[in-house]
Amino acid sequence: MEMLQYTLRKLITGIPLVLGVTLISFVLMVYFGPDKTYDLLGKNPTPEEIAQVRHQLGYDQPFVVRYLDYLRELVTLDFGYSDSSGERVGSILKRTIPVSLAVILPGFILGNLLGVVLALVAAYHRGGWIDKLIMAGSVVGMSVSFLIVIIAFQVIFSSSYGLNWFPVLGWDVYSFWDYLRYVTVPTLASVFVALGYNTRFYRAVIVEEMGRDHVRTARAYGASPAELLFKSILKNSLIPIITRIMFSIPLVVVSGSLLIESYFGIPGVGKVAFDAITTGDQPILKAVVGLTAVLFVVVLIINDILYKVVDPRVSLK
Amino acid sequence: MIPITVFQALRKALVLAVLPLSLLGCGAGVDVEKALEGHLNGPPKIYRHSLAGAPASLDPLNSATMYANTIMTNVYDTLYRYKYLARPYEITPNLATGMPEVSEDGLTYVFRIKPGVYFIDDPAFPDGKGRELTAADFVYSIQRHFDPNNRSQGSWLWAGRIIGLDDWGKQGADYNAEVEGLKALDRYTIQIKLKKPYPQLIHTFAQGFSAIVPREAVARYGREFAVHPVGSGPFRMLRYEPGTYALMVRNVKFRQEPIDLQAEGFDPKLHDGFGLEAIQGKAPPLVDVLKIDFIKQSAAQWASFTKGNEIQFTGVPVEQVEEVLASKQRPLKLKPEYAEKYRMSHAIEAGFVHTDFNMRDPAIGYNDDPEREKRNKQLRCAIRAAFDWEDRNQRFYSGIGVIFPGIIPPVVPEFDPNLSRESVTRDLDKARALMRAGGWTAENLPTLVYGGVASVTTRQMFEQFRGWMKAIGFPEEKVVFDSYATFGDFNKAVKQAKIMIVGMGWGLDYPDAQNTLQLFYGPYGSPGSNNSNYNNPEYNRLYEQAAVMQPSPERTRIYRKMNEIMIDDCVSNTGLSRDRIMMWHKNVISYADRQIVGGFHLRFVDVLQKEEN
Repeated sequence: MEMLQYTLRKLITGIPLVLGVTLISFVLMVYFGPDKTYDLLGKNPTPEEIAQVRHQLGYDQPFVVRYLDYLRELVTLDFGYSDSSGERVGSILKRTIPVSLAVILPGFILGNLLGVVLALVAAYHRGGWIDKLIMAGSVVGMSVSFLIVIIAFQVIFSSSYGLNWFPVLGWDVYSFWDYLRYVTVPTLASVFVALGYNTRFYRAVIVEEMGRDHVRTARAYGASPAELLFKSILKNSLIPIITRIMFSIPLVVVSGSLLIESYFGIPGVGKVAFDAITTGDQPILKAVVGLTAVLFVVVLIINDILYKVVDPRVSLK
Repeated sequence: MIPITVFQALRKALVLAVLPLSLLGCGAGVDVEKALEGHLNGPPKIYRHSLAGAPASLDPLNSATMYANTIMTNVYDTLYRYKYLARPYEITPNLATGMPEVSEDGLTYVFRIKPGVYFIDDPAFPDGKGRELTAADFVYSIQRHFDPNNRSQGSWLWAGRIIGLDDWGKQGADYNAEVEGLKALDRYTIQIKLKKPYPQLIHTFAQGFSAIVPREAVARYGREFAVHPVGSGPFRMLRYEPGTYALMVRNVKFRQEPIDLQAEGFDPKLHDGFGLEAIQGKAPPLVDVLKIDFIKQSAAQWASFTKGNEIQFTGVPVEQVEEVLASKQRPLKLKPEYAEKYRMSHAIEAGFVHTDFNMRDPAIGYNDDPEREKRNKQLRCAIRAAFDWEDRNQRFYSGIGVIFPGIIPPVVPEFDPNLSRESVTRDLDKARALMRAGGWTAENLPTLVYGGVASVTTRQMFEQFRGWMKAIGFPEEKVVFDSYATFGDFNKAVKQAKIMIVGMGWGLDYPDAQNTLQLFYGPYGSPGSNNSNYNNPEYNRLYEQAAVMQPSPERTRIYRKMNEIMIDDCVSNTGLSRDRIMMWHKNVISYADRQIVGGFHLRFVDVLQKEEN
């Protein structure tokens, strides 16, 4: 009951957040985004034709009317048709979000799991050569541009100049084996980059926890390293770890990974969103931004509930 | 035993964990063999093409790019197409039975189309069976461009030219109402009546814009017709991922018309070594599956091409030109290690790049003060004399582009190889003399604003331009870059005549210099295609005179005269036609073209199966 009340309360208080995000992003789209009129016109258009296209795009409507339309679309989840391809925005998202999830989740999960494991090892050996080695690796992962990592991994694992083990591009997934072939290199690239950020962050959290009294007490009682790391340290570090993971989810689900999808020729939502930004395809942009905002509110709620699960001292009131 | 058990358990856990993810990405799945059931004699013959950009829409109304046109001409039929191998380009009947019957005054055209051509099977038709394509479908497909409810990018091809068509649109686009100038006389005969002669009309019916669509499919799919093509072309779309790829299979109903290489323009001297003889007598399309990957990232495109088992065709990106070419001397040749694995062709593009002055800008173009206008012309001519085309060619086009004076590019028959090259030859002394004659000094020079989309290449082009301007006395701060985040923003600024100096590229719609000369025709000023907003009454008069003339020496003379007028007025720094290098795998029989023939060439592409290799 307490949880239900909390969820409802959070959902209601999330409305201003969604309104705020959508309003700011819509202002940016309308006043600073690309104007699609001339992309859709043929050569030598007449003033009437220009006016007609602007009307079809809704550019001639007052801002308030357009924003209210946006909110209506968000509530009904009907964002109309893409201004570029003419396809229903709902169909586009339905088709591309699962692909992005399938591409990104393995890297997301592995990047976080390995990040926690490496952080534990580094923190346990704090100041030693293992710690330094792991941290140096993290810095490398953080420092090298994701684009360079993608190209390098493509050359090493996929091209005829390298090992030639995996496809360079495409997403012809009809079986689990196909899936592994197509997802491996993108996953390796994302894990390589994510590990740097994750390991450093998680190590800092764990090191802080290691200095606490209860850890020293556990050590004094002769707790084994595994018991110490997993029971005393990791469990008590879970709140910042959960926060980081949970808040990454909306971006993973809706925004996908533009670079990965572009370079590996994967038809995911990240690529669709990027194309929409550069071409000013507002129906798609409105959907992506709006749904990301809503997802953030949902994640916020789940996040708080998880806090309660991992730490019973946390109150939902 | 124990390690194996643990390994098996781990594998099982992994499969259980990851399988749902893999299924998420599968979608409906595509079964090529099912789509071609009963029409395959062994494993499907697959050809993987690639393009460096993607179509925005697959509705013929929006066939405005080479990428869209490539798809359109493969899934739909057009009345005409271009011969596979003939250069200069030659038009030839496709769905039409022959060339049109044209009245003596050049105002009435009668086209006859082939009977027994069927649309692909689709749920849009009763019982899902594609019906016969008729003349009424052609009429409907052209009418759609004038329906105010549609967003046509191709109506300009016929606007103001066909009797009654513009009015039909303005009066509400009633598809049951007859248009005087656009009629289906019977099931297989089309009549078009023009307001005035339009010699390029036949070329417009080889464009993706004129692709023939069935009314039922438009009605059924509405706006989503743009991702659900239903045509009668050599291929049918099996799966389309906008921006990523198009997967097509052979249209098993496509008419059987054996290839006559001689009729397609085969020349043993030009086409030797491409293996084209093997397709003689076969009926297109020659492959079962045509997959076109849209890859904007040249590194990924190159890696995929050289991998060996992915894309089989690529345009060679600029950064790879030095790597693959043995020499830049014509004819271009591949290095032996590449020649061993790949075939290559190259062709001067059907188009050109040019940098225009905005004549509506009083600081550089037309001015109410005649004296200032005269000085502005001297300034433009000075800038042009300082423009270093050779340097631009070397830095940005691998040194293999073809520099030519004016706006009639080498690819069209009206090109004049003997025209003076003075306007494309850098002459700093002349530039400085013009500056002096115009009374231009560092103090009174206007600030040159060079507009472009924010990108490394555009910025580099600007810096190169600024260097040239500094050489003739422009202070650095008087040559500035006006950067636009997206092409949409840049295009809007150009169409609103807000940019002083505009770098542009133009791809010909058809092989007739009229298509480039119209770029400087006064009435087509912004927001039209005349981005320089040049408006010379004599030029305009000649354009109007030539616009109704059939190809002839007299028309060529007028075209060339217009070219000279434009050059004399120093309206544009022009031009350079890029040399496009294309490569494909040796097991592919092709003679690629990404220009005028464009998508039409794909029906002639064959792939040797392993045993044929």
